[in-house]
Amino acid sequence: MTEKLVITGASKAFPGVQALDDVSLALAPGCIHALLGENGAGKSTLIKIITGVHRPDAGTVLLDGEPVQFASPREAIARGISAVHQERNLIPRFSVGENIVLENLPRRRGLVDYGEVRETARRFMAPLGLEIDPDTPVRNLSVARMQLVEIAKALSLDARLLVLDEPTASITPYETETLFRLLRELRDKGVAILFVSHKLDEVFELCDSVTVLRDGRNACASRPLEGLDRADVVRLMIGREEQTARRTERTATGEPVLALRNVGTELGHRNVDLEVRAGEIVGLYGLVGAGRTELAKAIIGAAKVTSGEVQVDGKAVTIDSVATALSRHRIGYVSEDRKHEGLILMHSVRRNVAVTVWGRIARALGWLPNRAERDAVTPYIDRLQVRTPSLAQPVSLLSGGNQQKVSVAKWIAAEVRVLIIDEPTVGIDIQTKVYLHELIHELAAAGTAVILISSDMPEMISLADRIAVMSEFEVVGEIDNDHDATRMGEAIMARIHKVEGAT
Amino acid sequence: MSTTMQLLRTDWFGLLVAFLLGAIMLGVAQPSFLSTYNIYVILTAFALSVLVALSQMVIVAIGQLNLSVGAIGGLAAITFAGAMDLWNVPIPVAILIGLMVGVAGGALNGVVTHVTGLNAFVVTLATLSIFKGTNIGITEAQPFYDIPEAVKTFGNARFGFFPYLLFVSGAILVAVWVFMRRAVLGRQLLAVGGNRNAAELSGISIGRVVVAAHVLSGTLAAVAGMLAVARLQLGQPTIGDDWLIISFAAPVIGGAVLAGGHVSVGGTLLGVAIIMLINNALVLLNVNPYAVQLLLGALILAAVALSRFRDPA
Repeated sequence: MTEKLVITGASKAFPGVQALDDVSLALAPGCIHALLGENGAGKSTLIKIITGVHRPDAGTVLLDGEPVQFASPREAIARGISAVHQERNLIPRFSVGENIVLENLPRRRGLVDYGEVRETARRFMAPLGLEIDPDTPVRNLSVARMQLVEIAKALSLDARLLVLDEPTASITPYETETLFRLLRELRDKGVAILFVSHKLDEVFELCDSVTVLRDGRNACASRPLEGLDRADVVRLMIGREEQTARRTERTATGEPVLALRNVGTELGHRNVDLEVRAGEIVGLYGLVGAGRTELAKAIIGAAKVTSGEVQVDGKAVTIDSVATALSRHRIGYVSEDRKHEGLILMHSVRRNVAVTVWGRIARALGWLPNRAERDAVTPYIDRLQVRTPSLAQPVSLLSGGNQQKVSVAKWIAAEVRVLIIDEPTVGIDIQTKVYLHELIHELAAAGTAVILISSDMPEMISLADRIAVMSEFEVVGEIDNDHDATRMGEAIMARIHKVEGAT
Repeated sequence: MSTTMQLLRTDWFGLLVAFLLGAIMLGVAQPSFLSTYNIYVILTAFALSVLVALSQMVIVAIGQLNLSVGAIGGLAAITFAGAMDLWNVPIPVAILIGLMVGVAGGALNGVVTHVTGLNAFVVTLATLSIFKGTNIGITEAQPFYDIPEAVKTFGNARFGFFPYLLFVSGAILVAVWVFMRRAVLGRQLLAVGGNRNAAELSGISIGRVVVAAHVLSGTLAAVAGMLAVARLQLGQPTIGDDWLIISFAAPVIGGAVLAGGHVSVGGTLLGVAIIMLINNALVLLNVNPYAVQLLLGALILAAVALSRFRDPA
């Protein structure tokens, strides 16, 4: 049988970095192949070569045994390669349907046939369990649903080679299962699938073979996954043994710092009760669209609370803007979407971190001495071990993991009493993830009240003290975490599905 | 990275080299370029234009555009002149009135932009018309001639080739430079321009920042308008009519990102300087004045292309 795709000796350099150095990979039809590596190992570059975004400086790409050189992504699509990239490639103001079939909009008499658009879109959404109106503008969707739309879009091309870069980064286990079932069906029909993920459990569950990259080179090339275990793969990825996050001992004390009593919001939350005390980590878990991020936004004043009461230190308060949340109540929010909401990419590390403390460190007339800013920022950059050549480096030039650290650093610098952290480790590498977990423990131990939003069940179970389960903009149950993965997973799912059964 | 590379990456270095080369070539080709009087003329025009450019630059910093810079400047100019001509108010009071016009015009732009959520381009297109209409209504398109001698003298005074007007502009230039680099509000302007969502979620009040930027823009335009009165020796209703192109061209040539988040005061200054140099060259070399517009347009396109090349993200 001819291999679907064979890459031999691929190299690619960008100014200042050798992104790929003599990399090989072979992918058979009817096979799900994992592509693994830490951030910056070269996975994305390799994918971009396969999908025609970049051209390799050296090396060959054989598709169905034939050498190819794509000049553009369009040519790759024409040859049956489709991809879900890590960055979003959707047009926010277009409808879900249009986005899905954008590459070949159905036409009738020279005009776009919207009936056909809806129908085709539904056909590719259904197997993903994506039940939304195809006319909904994409920008009204949650991050997770956008991700599913991207996958539906890739499927709509009927590709023979499907490349998925972190497809599960922002979706829940339930949706992940649906996706995996679908991918296995495609594999059985002879589609070749290249699967990139930081979640090793998924890789072992789904994939047949694996290529690992480290620092732009092959740590292993196209090896069967059978016979390898998690520790082997981690060693290949990071070149040494995996560490586990240290837990800092702590006890939650006193009255709740922040409490929601029967809260409703303009976004559609109903009867939400939630409490968090100093030194406590409360998890918010739920499926896509359960309203967790939206609840966070309402707490910090970016959306309106329409009923019930928000209490800080037992007193009812009105938080009408994020500025009030920060300056008066010292509540902060680390966004799940660091590129669009967390960071100012073109600005320096220093400015990105200092943005939350400007008001505090400014002298008379709003004068900001350079030195005050540097002194305010440096300890946090050191503490989070952000790898950057200098504080003046634009954050756009940092790796994903380091960007995430900066996004967290600015809220630690703000010295808030309540910190809401939304999906802190999506799409970042193992070492940074372990590090951020330790940091969240430390913050709580130092007396911060932490609300953790995460779709990563193991992460939730390892970090949270209590887990509030949300479904359809309500809190449907609260569970004390005993850190037993199986039991907790079942308990959480039972809460979610009981509600779904009832409606 | 080598020092040369670092210099090349800055907004101002390439412009400085271009300016110096241009000045040297022009000086050789046309020695009258270096005459004291010619330099004085250039610097006078520069003193006005640099304020116009800064007025636009602070709006570009927040990722918006202000089409009404010239109209605000014009309205401030004629109220300044009119207050002295019709009501005989003392000069400092007239200056204050002129500044208030700038503040009010800018505040209107800022508040309407923020409250309605409309694109500033549309809002300032409308207010441009309102300000200009008010201007014509007050002046009936006739200049105010009766300007105090002190203002006229100030407008013409010079130290050799150095116009007094440039003292005002120079001081403001330095102040804006410090403001953008070292003041909380200046930083907040750039943060809002760089990523509005991130800025808001970091506790910055977007409304306050947008209004502040427009007020600053209006004030700078008003100062430019009043300096224009001093220079022209009369309250000409057409002041500000031809400011639009230069107000965009200089910041863009100076490396500003039109989507917001990055501007350079030094780059803007050099942008104005280069435009002044080109203007002067075309005059000295007897080129058709209409070609100036054409060349300026080409220069803006080149600057945008260059900024794409320098920072492809």
